[in-house]
Amino acid sequence: MKYIKATLQIIALYGFVLIGNWLQDFLHLPLPGSIIGLLVLLVALSMKVFRLEWVESGSYFLLSYLPLYFIPATVGVMKYGHVFAGKGLLLIPITMISTFLTMWISSIISQFLANKSVKKEEVSCK
Amino acid sequence: MQIMLFSILFVSITITVYLTMNLLYFKYHKAFLIPILTTTVGIILILVLFNIPYETYMLGGMWVDLLLGPAIVSLAIPLYKQRELIKQNMFPILGGVLTGVLVGMISGVLFAKLMGFSKEIIFSLLPKSITTPIAIQIASALGGVTSLTIAFVMIAGFTGIILGPTFLKWFRIDTAIGRGIGLGAAAHALGTSKAIELGEQEASYSSVAMTLSAIIGSIVGPVMAWFFY
Repeated sequence: MKYIKATLQIIALYGFVLIGNWLQDFLHLPLPGSIIGLLVLLVALSMKVFRLEWVESGSYFLLSYLPLYFIPATVGVMKYGHVFAGKGLLLIPITMISTFLTMWISSIISQFLANKSVKKEEVSCK
Repeated sequence: MQIMLFSILFVSITITVYLTMNLLYFKYHKAFLIPILTTTVGIILILVLFNIPYETYMLGGMWVDLLLGPAIVSLAIPLYKQRELIKQNMFPILGGVLTGVLVGMISGVLFAKLMGFSKEIIFSLLPKSITTPIAIQIASALGGVTSLTIAFVMIAGFTGIILGPTFLKWFRIDTAIGRGIGLGAAAHALGTSKAIELGEQEASYSSVAMTLSAIIGSIVGPVMAWFFY
């Protein structure tokens, strides 16, 4: 019963992907269908036209195996090994360093701004 | 018939290798044993060893791939449950993600330019911190090679999930918002899969960062390209 429920909920979630794909096509949006589907579900939940219980257990089941669904894409890297031969090898450290910088700056800025607004609140509470 | 057999075979292999690697990871808990990396390496080894082309593997792979869409949609659930927290932190989130997108694109392009790589490669590299489906669109609009973009997006993702947690500790990023935004902005959906391990708040910040950088990236990407060339 638990599995039937999860399966039905996953099908419902897939419905949002289809809605997203359709909206993308129809409105020529620059975002992929799955992200539009995410936004549509979020709006539907916030406006209370869609209930959390209808998809909650299915979504947690799906999310607990999230890395699995990336495997077909990551295995695809095997086709481009030749680009990273010779000088191309440098592209790997370039990507890694740039990723570090991105992570460092974005995390430090959001943390800094969040701490600052907390402090402001504390001051105004006094 | 043969196609169906191949599909079932490759789906089973993918799931079996993944579950085995998952067990291994939870037993030893070493960063380099992260299942997405070990499973990828394991499957590539199997394909190379038995001389199976990627296209044949994808007969089964596409069925696994099919679940990625609903899984991305599922990220709306932690987002919805943490909505109050996100509303309160809208300014820090926007600030972090926007600078993240800019730094990610500018630094990648600059380094690659300094090393003398071609425009085609640089444009393929430009959207590497953005989630795959959007990165592909950004790169192809600029005249990059989309298949290369996928490789760069994956390298960024792996860097984020394997070295990211240590790196965040190093720089004393100890709040849920800092960790979530960092992982999502630098390592997109892969980073978000790591953020789920860290906690529900991290997971929702990370999915916000991933979604926002996708939206911002698709606007900023072409501007960046115009600026540099």
